[in-house]
Amino acid sequence: MKRLSSLLGATWRFLRRDKKAFAGAVIMLVLLILTAFPSWFTPDDPAAEIYSPGMGLSWAHPLGTTSFGQDVFSQLMAGARQSVMLALVVGFLCTILSVVVGISAAYLGGLIDDGLSLLTDVILVIPTFPLIIVIAAYTKNANFWTIVFVLVFTGWSYGARQMRVQALSLRNRDYLLAARARGESSWYIISVELIPPMTSLIVANFLSAALYAVLTAAGLQFVGLGNVNTESWGTMLYWAQNNEALAAGYPLWALAPGIMIALLGSALALLNYAFDEVSNPALRPVTNRRRRKALA
Amino acid sequence: MRFIVRRIGFLLIALWAALTLNFFIPRLMPGNPAQAIVANFRGRINPSALHAIEVALGIGGHQNLVAAYFQYLGNTFTGNFGVSTGNYPQTVTHVIGVALPWSLGLLGVTTVLGFVLGTGLGALAAWRRGGVLDNLLPPSFIVISAFPYFWVGLLCAWLFSLTLNWFPSLNGYNATVDSPGFTWTFAVDVLNHSVLPAFTILISSIGGWILTMRNNMITVVAEDYVKMARAKGLTPRRILWQYAGRNALLPNLTGFAMSLGFIISGAILVEDVFNYPGVGFLLLQAVGNEDFPLLQALLLLITVAVLVAIFIADIATALLDPRTRNNR
Amino acid sequence: MKKFKVGLATSALVLVASTMTVVGPSVVGLAVANAAPSQAPLNLANEQGSLWSCAFNPFIPSSLPYSFGLTYESLDFVNALQSGKVTPWLASAYAWSNGNKTLTFTIRSGVKWSDGQPFSAADVAYTFGLLKKYPALDLNAVWTALSSVTQSGSKIIMNFKAAAVPYFYYVADQVPIVPEHLWSKIANPTTALISNPVGTGGYIMSKCSGQNIQWKSNPLFWQKGMAQIKVVNMPAFLSNNTCNQYLASGQSAWGSQFIPNIQSYYVAKKAGNSYWFPPVANVSLFPNLTVPGLSDPKVRQAISFAINRSLVSKIGEYGYEPPASQTGIVSPTFKSWVSSSLASSLGTGYNLTKAAAILKADGYTKGSDGIYAKGGKKLSFTLTTNGGYSDWIASMQVVSQQLTSFGIKITLQTPAQATFYANLYAGKYQLAYNAEAGGPTPFYEMRQMLFSKNSAPIGTAAASNWERYSSASTDALLNQYATTTSAATQQSIVNQLEAVMVNQAPVIPVLEEVDWFQYNPTTINNFPTAANPYAQPGLYNQPDWGYVLDKLAPKA
Repeated sequence: MKRLSSLLGATWRFLRRDKKAFAGAVIMLVLLILTAFPSWFTPDDPAAEIYSPGMGLSWAHPLGTTSFGQDVFSQLMAGARQSVMLALVVGFLCTILSVVVGISAAYLGGLIDDGLSLLTDVILVIPTFPLIIVIAAYTKNANFWTIVFVLVFTGWSYGARQMRVQALSLRNRDYLLAARARGESSWYIISVELIPPMTSLIVANFLSAALYAVLTAAGLQFVGLGNVNTESWGTMLYWAQNNEALAAGYPLWALAPGIMIALLGSALALLNYAFDEVSNPALRPVTNRRRRKALA
Repeated sequence: MRFIVRRIGFLLIALWAALTLNFFIPRLMPGNPAQAIVANFRGRINPSALHAIEVALGIGGHQNLVAAYFQYLGNTFTGNFGVSTGNYPQTVTHVIGVALPWSLGLLGVTTVLGFVLGTGLGALAAWRRGGVLDNLLPPSFIVISAFPYFWVGLLCAWLFSLTLNWFPSLNGYNATVDSPGFTWTFAVDVLNHSVLPAFTILISSIGGWILTMRNNMITVVAEDYVKMARAKGLTPRRILWQYAGRNALLPNLTGFAMSLGFIISGAILVEDVFNYPGVGFLLLQAVGNEDFPLLQALLLLITVAVLVAIFIADIATALLDPRTRNNR
Repeated sequence: MKKFKVGLATSALVLVASTMTVVGPSVVGLAVANAAPSQAPLNLANEQGSLWSCAFNPFIPSSLPYSFGLTYESLDFVNALQSGKVTPWLASAYAWSNGNKTLTFTIRSGVKWSDGQPFSAADVAYTFGLLKKYPALDLNAVWTALSSVTQSGSKIIMNFKAAAVPYFYYVADQVPIVPEHLWSKIANPTTALISNPVGTGGYIMSKCSGQNIQWKSNPLFWQKGMAQIKVVNMPAFLSNNTCNQYLASGQSAWGSQFIPNIQSYYVAKKAGNSYWFPPVANVSLFPNLTVPGLSDPKVRQAISFAINRSLVSKIGEYGYEPPASQTGIVSPTFKSWVSSSLASSLGTGYNLTKAAAILKADGYTKGSDGIYAKGGKKLSFTLTTNGGYSDWIASMQVVSQQLTSFGIKITLQTPAQATFYANLYAGKYQLAYNAEAGGPTPFYEMRQMLFSKNSAPIGTAAASNWERYSSASTDALLNQYATTTSAATQQSIVNQLEAVMVNQAPVIPVLEEVDWFQYNPTTINNFPTAANPYAQPGLYNQPDWGYVLDKLAPKA
């Protein structure tokens, strides 16, 4: 418990000090609120096709209407949920898989390590997007969980490799050897001694997996392989593209979802970057002018 | 030597896994290519053509799956990829041959350009900590690299082509006016048409290079031997490129090879947005047409390219950095 | 080293900048220089979604649109937009005899192949013999109806197994005639590429690359004074958007595109930009008649009355596709065939009160969840549509909403194209949205929809009649139509088929599929128009578009 509160304190201090992390965290918070309570922000039912198509900006429709007569702003707000949930769920599942496979390979060693490493490398090397297109095209009803499955299946291997390398380098450290000599069980060693020092790597992993999920899911939905009947930023781009929003006179319909995806991605990337700095102090922003002179 | 043998072994296994996946995945799809061909005509074809096409493509007979698998493996090694069902009766080799130069040109040039520019900029940014580059580049590229590739493409097409009219946003060259050939006008036309797609891919991928190179450099610069070099009085430029830069570059090499897969993915959608006649778009088309032979050949091509790149990167790293040879 | 890196970046920028300044004027110059001395080429805008494979075999579906009509011609021209009006083409005359079981063509003389060799009836006999020998080439399955095709001097005599008046369209209009002196040397016509097609038509393929096909007009063309446009280009487009951009930029005078918001996107961009979308077939809901609930004709009738078709058209298709009629007759193209009594009984086709009354009389009551049910079974179905057509998806979203709010719950599925068709053909669906191919009179679409032999058991692929409708009396009507050339009898039979559609609703037409057609008559005369619908205007209608091309002429 004490560990948790000191961790939270450290996080808060860190966020306050680092501008990038702060920006990322704020954006993330806003999007999370949007995900949890979309109805607070949607003046209209996003799917209702009741307005005039292709209207320009107005107070009633801050971003205009789609070619079907739906309110773009409401769709944008409602779309947050699917996109954010996808990022978080895929990030979480990928990280768990990476941690399990990577650490098992490193800790258990021998043939198991060989086998798991081979599996990891092979999946890593097979080009994911073409594979994703092929898989997603042939599921009967591309719903949320299909996309999650496809993304997790293709996305966990990069993190697993990283976990394995890190765990390998930690495995032979003195305090671990001491724990083993003490006779502690493998479970204890892994969960208490091995994982905590890898926390920043795990968090970084989560963030980059989430980013990967956001961008790849957007790509899939853009070509129509997501569920086009639901509201999400990627499917908004699909409809906008198929109705030539940019060229036919309602560009906001195409631009706004792209900006939102970029915002979500940026938040994740900024936080990721900030975590890199936590794990590697040399990367932190240079504020000391004296230090700068020494290098140049 | 043992290291090289291990790497080759891994390469072969990965190749076999890719081939087997390639064989099974198209067969898991419902329907058959004849139905896909009839479907493509959106009803403008006599429904009885379905039977005629099935006869033409030789569908309907039940094939022993195991026999087909070994036949497929054998055919792949002799380079016989069969006839593309979507572009019947053209062979798969011909179809890919038409599209490949465009992708190689576009991707090849932008990837190398991105890598060179990116690592250069990243190294520079790290060298002058707290300087303009260091403060400006990382945050802006973090944000830019979070944009989906295809959205950047749409934006570029809209801004630079439709609105400002600086560059064409369609095709590889102006096909109604030009013919392929080694003429100056053709070359210029191709270059003109490739600016926007190349710019899109470049700007989306360069961020990654800059950031990783910068981070690596910073770690390396903090090492003792750099301090030693400085103490010995070597010029900063020499330290930057010949000592620190080289060592920082190494992890990037393998990363470069592995990210080839990601770059190819992004390029698929960019080719879609710009109507660029490359291999990526061929893949989307093959999926839609249930064109098994073409699909298998394309997946194989991409996998082999990535595998070969990784292999070369691994060997290069091993040659350049003896420490990695002992690392498992 | 640093200098080198900077140098690299700078030189890249310089290259790009210089390209910008050099290319602009040079491309324009190129366009001017390459134009034929007297005429600019006609550029066509038709998105096919792939690069050209440069094969021109007219018996292979992927290559036939680019040679049939232009280079290869048919015996007669049958116009779907004028209820099957016949114009003699390679055959100067034809006659039915022997109880409509024998069809005799008189083959035109004085026609030459584009390589200079003379064309004769022997080529026609050879072509049909080719189709018999290689069933893979027989795309219209003409040999399922033919028993023999023989030549007698300059006449061709076709004998059918049974009276087969509607087959005239397939044998006379849909079979491209190929030269015996060249094709008899081909080892395997089913896989032959035919990269340099030789035909009797007005246009010969002159250049082909993956990105463009170019045709030049045929100096030996038998129709004097036609094929006046000298050079025709058809660039390849991989997606609809890029093709629309091309059309809207004014580079093409003839397009066949689906353009959203066509007024502002296309018409407003250049003087003379016009469009015409003639309807040709129905896009309908095909209920799987073996599914409980949908097997009841009253339920199907209610579904038909509960759909507000004009709203579906407005939202899903920008109003381009007119609402269809439950009679199954496409208007205004075939409006002379409509039975007025049936049409007036339908009204506008949208009547929620009537739909509710039909269900109530059938024993259905609305539950507390707002969904109709009878004996514990709710009316709740899945509706699948092609995931590759965004406009169909949009239309079906509207239909789902309308039907669900009426009281029949609809869940929309949008599988990928290949999955959709596989399930449609095999009958593994509940409601599906698709279109039949149609033909020059309403009979053809009716036969495709209703003839029981077109169908197949659930699980086996059926190329049409996916709803698995089967009725001996309807089959008899369809067979009877085939035996007569009397317009009055044909009309009466079609009216009875309309009654089947209205009373049993085996298929529920929603919208009418149109031919997409954009054109600019500022520099080119003789495009087909609503006032003069002499052929179907789509760049994918064979052989129509080739014949339209023959007729176009540059404005003096």
